[in-house]
Amino acid sequence: MDFINSNLLTILILIPLVGAVLTLGHQMFWKQDGQLKWLTLGFTLVNFVVSLALFSSSATAGPSGFFFEQNVAWIKAINTNYHVGVDGLSFWLVILTTFIMPIAVISTWHAVEKKATAFYIFLLLLESAMIGVFVSLDLLVFYLFFEASLIPMFFLIGVWGGENRIYAAVKFFIFTALGSLLMLVAIIALFFMYADQTGLGGSFDLVSILNAMKAGNLVLGPQAGMLLFLAFALAFSIKVPLFPFHTWLPDAHTEAPTAGSVILAAVLLKMGTYGLMRFNFALFPDQARETAWIFITLSIIGIIYGALVAMVQPDVKRLVAYSSVAHMGFVMLGMFSFTEAGMQGALFTMLAHGVTTGALFLLVGFIYERRHTRKISDFGGLANVMPIYTTVFVITTMASVGLPFLNGFVGEFLIMIGMFQSQALAITSTVNWNYIAAMLAGTGVIFAAVYLLWMVQRVFFGKVTNEKNRVLADLSWREIGLMVPLLVLMVYMGVFPKPFLARSEDAVKAIKERVMHQAGGTIEKTEVRPHVTATENR
Amino acid sequence: MNTFLLTELITPDANVSLILPELIVAVTGIVVMLYDSFVPRQRMVSGAISLIGLAAAAIVLGSMWGTAAPTGWNGMIAHDNLRLGFSFVFLFVSAMTILVSTVWVDREDVPVGEYHALLMFATFGMMIMSAGSDLVTIFLGLETLSIATYVMAGLRKSDLKSNESAMKYFILGSFASAFLLYGMALIYGATGTTQIAEIADKVANPNFPGLLLVGGAMLLIGFGFKIAMAPFHVWTPDVYEGAPTPVTGFMAAGPKAAAFASFLRVFVLGFPLVAGAQASGYLHQSWIGAVTVMAMVTIIVGNVAAIMQDNVKRMLAYSSIAHAGYALVGFVGAGLAKSTQARDEAIAAVAFYMLTYAVTNMGAFGIVTLLAQKNDRRNQFEDYNGIGFKSPLLAFSLSLFMLSLFGLPLTAGFMGKILIFRPALESGNTLVVGLVVVAVIGSAISAYYYLRLIVVMFFRERTTSWTDPKIPLPLAAALIITVIGVFYLGLFSGGLIERFAQPGAPTVIASER
Repeated sequence: MDFINSNLLTILILIPLVGAVLTLGHQMFWKQDGQLKWLTLGFTLVNFVVSLALFSSSATAGPSGFFFEQNVAWIKAINTNYHVGVDGLSFWLVILTTFIMPIAVISTWHAVEKKATAFYIFLLLLESAMIGVFVSLDLLVFYLFFEASLIPMFFLIGVWGGENRIYAAVKFFIFTALGSLLMLVAIIALFFMYADQTGLGGSFDLVSILNAMKAGNLVLGPQAGMLLFLAFALAFSIKVPLFPFHTWLPDAHTEAPTAGSVILAAVLLKMGTYGLMRFNFALFPDQARETAWIFITLSIIGIIYGALVAMVQPDVKRLVAYSSVAHMGFVMLGMFSFTEAGMQGALFTMLAHGVTTGALFLLVGFIYERRHTRKISDFGGLANVMPIYTTVFVITTMASVGLPFLNGFVGEFLIMIGMFQSQALAITSTVNWNYIAAMLAGTGVIFAAVYLLWMVQRVFFGKVTNEKNRVLADLSWREIGLMVPLLVLMVYMGVFPKPFLARSEDAVKAIKERVMHQAGGTIEKTEVRPHVTATENR
Repeated sequence: MNTFLLTELITPDANVSLILPELIVAVTGIVVMLYDSFVPRQRMVSGAISLIGLAAAAIVLGSMWGTAAPTGWNGMIAHDNLRLGFSFVFLFVSAMTILVSTVWVDREDVPVGEYHALLMFATFGMMIMSAGSDLVTIFLGLETLSIATYVMAGLRKSDLKSNESAMKYFILGSFASAFLLYGMALIYGATGTTQIAEIADKVANPNFPGLLLVGGAMLLIGFGFKIAMAPFHVWTPDVYEGAPTPVTGFMAAGPKAAAFASFLRVFVLGFPLVAGAQASGYLHQSWIGAVTVMAMVTIIVGNVAAIMQDNVKRMLAYSSIAHAGYALVGFVGAGLAKSTQARDEAIAAVAFYMLTYAVTNMGAFGIVTLLAQKNDRRNQFEDYNGIGFKSPLLAFSLSLFMLSLFGLPLTAGFMGKILIFRPALESGNTLVVGLVVVAVIGSAISAYYYLRLIVVMFFRERTTSWTDPKIPLPLAAALIITVIGVFYLGLFSGGLIERFAQPGAPTVIASER
């Protein structure tokens, strides 16, 4: 048990990696294309099962508050360590990653014909990198996984994507790489500030740096702190993506193969919001507070703009992509409200969005495989032909809109509560901007209902307008099997969000403390949040 | 070691053990040349002799690592991390060049004995350049290297482009050598010595700052030409495009690194900042400022011009210009280092960067050589269309090299970048931090053209026919070494970095004596 406790995260990273190597070997010696998907599915499923060990109650937090911590020297010359661990912030994201991967693999069961070996290898490599991002506690190791996750996705979009795939793949890569390179400079700069001020030599270790900061041994000047904060924030904002850095997202989403879109929406975007909470808020609390109004403004623009643009999309997949921009705007809003409710809501929405939008992309993929078009105008009256598909689609849409008792509602509700309570804007102004912000965000929910329901109406209801649609087969058992766990989660998370929120409670409290601590006194209007979660639970 | 006072002036202070690796390489060159004149065109044998010679030199070099500095040659030969680290890079580049060029040698029917002999002499020249602690030794090494490389660039006698390349290289190279020599003369005039350690002492002297500055500027121009620093880079693309592909790979990785070694020694060790000496401060400040600005221009020019290339070799030429710019970041960092240890680490970082670039670059050029076919017929981006899944081994290796050149984590290029950015950021100098930001933006730009090769290989469909080329054994060996090298340097380079930074004998710098 000890072995597993101290190596679990490494095992989680290694299983897909080993899977990739074995898949390659298998293909070199046996050349059985048909077995590849089984092999890949096997590895992702095993990884999911192993990741359930994270729930183990025997695990105890290390001195720095992380579970399943492992810290091994890697390159001594630059004092970087392979340091991994999970806490409330990353716990569900790791599970989400391992959960979504088998689904992504099954979704491509018949879709990937050409160059299947490489496809499955890239999927497995991507899984390793994504888990690595969420568990690494060394800045350099984090950066390494963050960048490494780019390459498989780049290939997934570029080789197996749609018509405009090359443009989308290159845009995706360059946008993300530019942001993260500046973060690298900031990471190295932080290394030297640590070395200069503590006299202990440089460090990339998040825990050591945080400890030094909390003890007052490492003080960033306002100017340097702001530059570092911005370098980190830019990298993550592009990844989220926050308006106006979002332009890569619709292209990447639309052109990516279904599995790619699912992973992109479910996991890759979360790296941005996760990074902001883990690194920006913890390392630069003052700067986060000072710039909150910028991020809140941009989030609200993103919410409204994403919704408006989604409304006029002729392509279903592009519509879902823009709805991602809006949803991630909500997540950012919740985070920068610096209230427990808002941050909890943000974390919850990250999961909910992963499940719901992942499901939406799957559903769009199903219909695309049948009709080879995603144009809304090519469809109409599908409810008559594909009743099961329609049912599933409508439920998923409702979850995305934020219907109570489905997962989208809980997160968005908490975020808006958080924004109402928020003092993040009061620091820079005396007007109650937080009310205005919450209200504007609220319009986003209405817009979401408009564009999603309008799309559903045009695609599914009315008479069958196109003869080709008359003969479409309804969902197969494989496809139904794929959707069932997602639907169950949507309902479960909507009705019983407590276990999800409980895991992240401590971590969120700590971050809130850290960010609002220096602002002077208690900021949050108390007693509201427990009340909210209490009602949610029933 | 010399006890006869009277003969001290005429007896060279010979100590063979100090230059044993260099001697081995030179002797290997002579053996290859002689062997070839009796048994001509035995490419396997002359290649094998050269490789054995290089390996022997590497072993001796390795044994010198960590030993106390032997003295000899009246202080004209240094024994420090700068020399050892860089010499290791040269030996590696040279060995890879031999392996990579086998396919080209076969195809073009090159006079192979001469080629291998020239390569050995060029390697000898490079090693002398990094070992020279005296301006004269450095110049000696530089000329040995240059003359050998001029001929190598023109080895494809029947090809107009190769001739053009050799001619341009020769004229501009001589031009640069003249600048260097003139600069050395002026430095001698200003300080009365050609020994770099003594120059570093004299720099503090308030006399002759004018002459020193002019001499330093001349040296800067000369070295600028050799490392292809903007605005002295204009010759590079033409020369690199015209030269035979393996020779281009060699020139981008070897001679450039050698010029960096001498450049580092003359400027970082020769013109240090001596506390309290106004003249030295002025000199130091001006060369740091000049190099920083030129490094920025180099990075921008190299990257922006590389985007517009349609020829893979030319793209790699511009990329090598950009990489010289990145290496200059570490160079400036070394110049601003606050302690001897930090300076040694920064120098080691530049040497390590050159190693990572050499590994990646030689691998890439190996594949480009193989795919080029006779007379460099297939060198355009469109010639690589859709070969990704038709020759997966070559295509994935080439992609790996491109990603390493870009500096993706897990690869050698990333470690190299981390190490050279470190000293620059440590200096805290605003201009230099600006340089790092420029370098980072440059890397982001470079993603475009490195990815372009991956894009054409994997994302496009091939319209014309394609036969998977057979990979000859030596090239396969080179590719295996470089692919493993890229990952090794990217993941487990800790020990090597420490080694590069700390040879046994601490170097003594003038300001501390």
